[in-house]
Amino acid sequence: MGALMSGHGKHEFQELSDKTGFSLPQIANLHQRFKQLSQNEDTLRREDFNKIADLACNPIRAQIIETFFDKRNYRQNTSGKMEEIGFEEFVTVMTHFKPPDLHMTDEKKEALRKEKLRFLFNMHDTDNSGTIDLEEYRHVVEELLSQGGMMEMETAKSIANSAMLDVATITMGQMAPDEFYAGITFEHFVQILKEFDVELRMHIRFSNMGPVANCCK
Amino acid sequence: MRAASLLLLAAVVADLPLSADVGQSSDAGQSSHHGGGYKIVQWEWSYVQTPYVIAIWLLMASVAKILFHFSQRLSSVVPESCVLILLGLVLGGVVLVASQKPLYQLDPGLFFLFLLPTIVADAGYFMPSRLFFENLGPILMYAVLGTLWNAFCTGLCLYGMKAADVIGPDVEAGMMEFLLFGALISAVDPVAVLAVFEEVQVNETLFIIVFGESLLNDAVTVVLYKVYISFVEVGVENVQIADYFKGLASFLIVSLGGTLVGLIFGMILAFVTRFTKKVRIIEPLFVLLLVYLAYLTAELFSLSAILSMIFCGIGCNKYVEANISQKSRTTVKYTMKTLASIAETIIFIFLGISAMDKSNWAWDSGLISCTLIFILVFRAMGVIMQTWLLNRFRLVPLDGIDQVVMSYGGLRGAVAFALVALLDQDQVKAKDYFVATTIVVIFFTVMFQGLTIKPLVKWLKVPQSTNHKPTINEEIHERAFDHTLTAVEDIAGLSGYHHWRDKWEQFDKKFLSKLLMRKSVYRKAELWEVYQKINLRNAITIIDQGGNVFSAARLSLPSIASRPSFPEVRDMTNYLRENGSGVCLDLPAVYPVLGPTMDEESETHNVLTGNLYKPRQRVQAHYSRHFMTTGESERQEREVFQRNMRGRLELFKSTCYRSKSRHRKIQKRRKGSDISERDGSDKPMRKVSWQDTAAVAVDCEEGKSEKAEPVKEGDGGITFVARESDELPRERPRSVPAALEVCGSPPVVTSGERPLPWKGSGGALFVCVSMEATKLIPVDLQQAWNQSMSSLESLAPPPPEPLHPRVTALCREEGVPAGGRGGGAGGGPGRKQEGAQSPEQQEMQPLLPPPPPPPLPPVPLAQGMEGRGPSCSGSPCIITRSLVTAPPPGGEEPSGGTTQL
Repeated sequence: MGALMSGHGKHEFQELSDKTGFSLPQIANLHQRFKQLSQNEDTLRREDFNKIADLACNPIRAQIIETFFDKRNYRQNTSGKMEEIGFEEFVTVMTHFKPPDLHMTDEKKEALRKEKLRFLFNMHDTDNSGTIDLEEYRHVVEELLSQGGMMEMETAKSIANSAMLDVATITMGQMAPDEFYAGITFEHFVQILKEFDVELRMHIRFSNMGPVANCCK
Repeated sequence: MRAASLLLLAAVVADLPLSADVGQSSDAGQSSHHGGGYKIVQWEWSYVQTPYVIAIWLLMASVAKILFHFSQRLSSVVPESCVLILLGLVLGGVVLVASQKPLYQLDPGLFFLFLLPTIVADAGYFMPSRLFFENLGPILMYAVLGTLWNAFCTGLCLYGMKAADVIGPDVEAGMMEFLLFGALISAVDPVAVLAVFEEVQVNETLFIIVFGESLLNDAVTVVLYKVYISFVEVGVENVQIADYFKGLASFLIVSLGGTLVGLIFGMILAFVTRFTKKVRIIEPLFVLLLVYLAYLTAELFSLSAILSMIFCGIGCNKYVEANISQKSRTTVKYTMKTLASIAETIIFIFLGISAMDKSNWAWDSGLISCTLIFILVFRAMGVIMQTWLLNRFRLVPLDGIDQVVMSYGGLRGAVAFALVALLDQDQVKAKDYFVATTIVVIFFTVMFQGLTIKPLVKWLKVPQSTNHKPTINEEIHERAFDHTLTAVEDIAGLSGYHHWRDKWEQFDKKFLSKLLMRKSVYRKAELWEVYQKINLRNAITIIDQGGNVFSAARLSLPSIASRPSFPEVRDMTNYLRENGSGVCLDLPAVYPVLGPTMDEESETHNVLTGNLYKPRQRVQAHYSRHFMTTGESERQEREVFQRNMRGRLELFKSTCYRSKSRHRKIQKRRKGSDISERDGSDKPMRKVSWQDTAAVAVDCEEGKSEKAEPVKEGDGGITFVARESDELPRERPRSVPAALEVCGSPPVVTSGERPLPWKGSGGALFVCVSMEATKLIPVDLQQAWNQSMSSLESLAPPPPEPLHPRVTALCREEGVPAGGRGGGAGGGPGRKQEGAQSPEQQEMQPLLPPPPPPPLPPVPLAQGMEGRGPSCSGSPCIITRSLVTAPPPGGEEPSGGTTQL
């Protein structure tokens, strides 16, 4: 373990911890995982993610892996794709899944909600066009259905179509016949998911134990 | 009113016991009478007594419920269970007064074997399993630790009070007895919790924690009860250390064994329903029977029956629901809900009646007040301590308000009463005191806490459940979201909740579902099922609201098709058209139009549909105990087709020959009869608006051409586009601002209108006809359809004169001097239409002669009707709408009545 830590001294960890809000043991954990995935390299590539066994049967893994290489998720107001990421990026993306603070003001809650929704939105908006257009949406549905294996594309299409239409009617209200719905903008995305307590649910439990207690496959 | 009915009920009950005596005496007398010859009518009260009394009770309780819910104010404040207990008190009092002896008692055997399982079955089968398992940790903690804590503390403290002489000396009980009493009084009761919490509607997490606790603490209660009973039997001094461990082992076996039995029965049930395709009618029976058998089997081995039933329900629900037919699903649901409601009613009434029966209880104020205080205090303390412990691990903590509701929602109920009634008087000397205390505790918790919990919840502003049904988008994102969390856990190398849930889902998919689901169902993805369900639900909603599924489906098409820039529209429309089985509807398009005018519109619609769309009753000598009728849809399609054809013909005749039946409403409000006549004959013309063009222009080209219907693109005579609406203000500066508005901003009006099939009274008939005709022509009827089409065309020539005024009006709009003729002629509706038409002169040009207009050529009109029928499905209704809204055009129509249809 000491050898692992040598690259990133306590100092860097402390910095990351201040920046991201993760505790030191959590960062150490993530670092261990990072090294494990990257096979002791300093950067992670897409292939490394694809090797994760548990991810293999996740229908939307491609999109999720992309989020780690997407600059929009680094909280720096940049956009574009990375080819490989370092530990800092890795941790920064993970911060989107931190549990919420216990005592938040309503504004903070709303901001957090927007932020988490933005992450989900970016995940689906693969071409960074600002909208989830029908093509992208259909892709999501297809992937979700692909788990069943037996579904033909037609089904996915029809579901995506009707879902899209649903969005259009919810968000745009009455549309004039010559209008057309280009895609789900972020505002509409927020609107259709207003019943979805994303700020309370989008989190995973990061282990607080030291790295040793948490040895993984 | 309520009081009167109660009096009446009381009178009935008062009769019952008396007549029971009569029945017995007549029973005795019968043998002597028997020699006397044959009796034509016999009094057989003793034969029917029990079911009769129960039926009457239920009837009274149900009537009381109806009356209770009549008063909105009362039912929003008082929970139903309170009313039932009160009713039971009244009934019990009446019975007691009438017969001087207690006739009916809540019999523990009856309770545990019949009443409790029905309620638990309902709870278990419809348990939201995901929510349940997400909160399984807290639920188990409260159920096990909380119940143990309550039981011990209450028992020990009562013993302490006894030692301190707060409890009277008449209560002969030692420590074991008090512990026993503490065990049975401390368990939160599922029946009471369900009855009260269903009305309070707190948020689902809170509900599932309290309710889950009340269900799962059964194992603890049962074991504690049994252990203490046996300790009381052998005497405290003979209890050995080993016995405590036996008690612990017994707890594990009772709870885990019960769960296991339930899961096994759940699997059996799911497996059996795989093969019931041919015998749909007994599917519900299987469900009910096997769930009940799970309960009985657990009782048989003295395991926790409630746990068994709950897990049977949770385990089988997913597979069974997928396997059985929709009708069976509904049947199971309603049967379970009805039975549970009956059982609940009986339990609460029995509680009331038992309370009036003084013979087996004895009052001790010290015991009662101490018990009340202790159960409240220890419940609150237990909840606070456990929540504190839990919140150290919970990511979303339970806050103070939640804790208050959880403490206050710890209602005791009939389980406690049944358990205390089961005690042996010889072993537990103080049984009578315990019975009285239990009854008071139950009444206090159900009545007082039940009454006050609602205001409390409101006052504390506990987040309430929204009862929101997820949309298709939410379902999609929900699933994507789950997978996202799982993936992130996997990437971070953590094996958290999502990781294991995903593992379980994969296991379920690979093995369990394969084994327990029908092949046809198994192949379908879950999302697809959800999608179907949502569509079905929407369709039902639409129909409930007075819509028409077919029309909704048809009407939605132009709205999509008319957005030509939407790249994938074609597939969508085609898809809907091909698979337009009434399920793939774009129903949300209909939602937003539920405006304030809804009522009158739907009224009109109801009148119309009532007359239009009633398939003839077919006498079908079809009866089978084992099979359901099928092939109904085919018959319906034929029926619809025939109806449409007939309706269409009649409509057309009436139009041509000025039969006024369709326009009675208009006529009533019109002064000049000639106007109405003209209007009447105008109808087909007016049934077009700019909307049509949108629909026709896109829709016809793309999709309709594949239909066998001859689509007449040349129906220009009636296709108007309000392109240059800006012309209008210039032409008619003063007279018709509202009409202008209608014409000027057509998209707003129509896109809202389109989905509403009942918009406009006159047009609706036409809408139905045209739409369904397009959609529902089976291949074998194609020829007939074409024939009738041609016959319609031959019928077509309309009388030319009626069009004159209209045309003149039109001319006037154009700036051509209309002359005196136009004076009273441009009836409101006609005018408005013209507003739309006027800018669109290209097509009408031949029809617009100078003031003395020549007879209108008949063909365009006929064409218009024909062409529009099949092609422009949704449009006609829109025009009539515009008739409704616009005011009379200026001074030309002094009556002003024309604006209303």
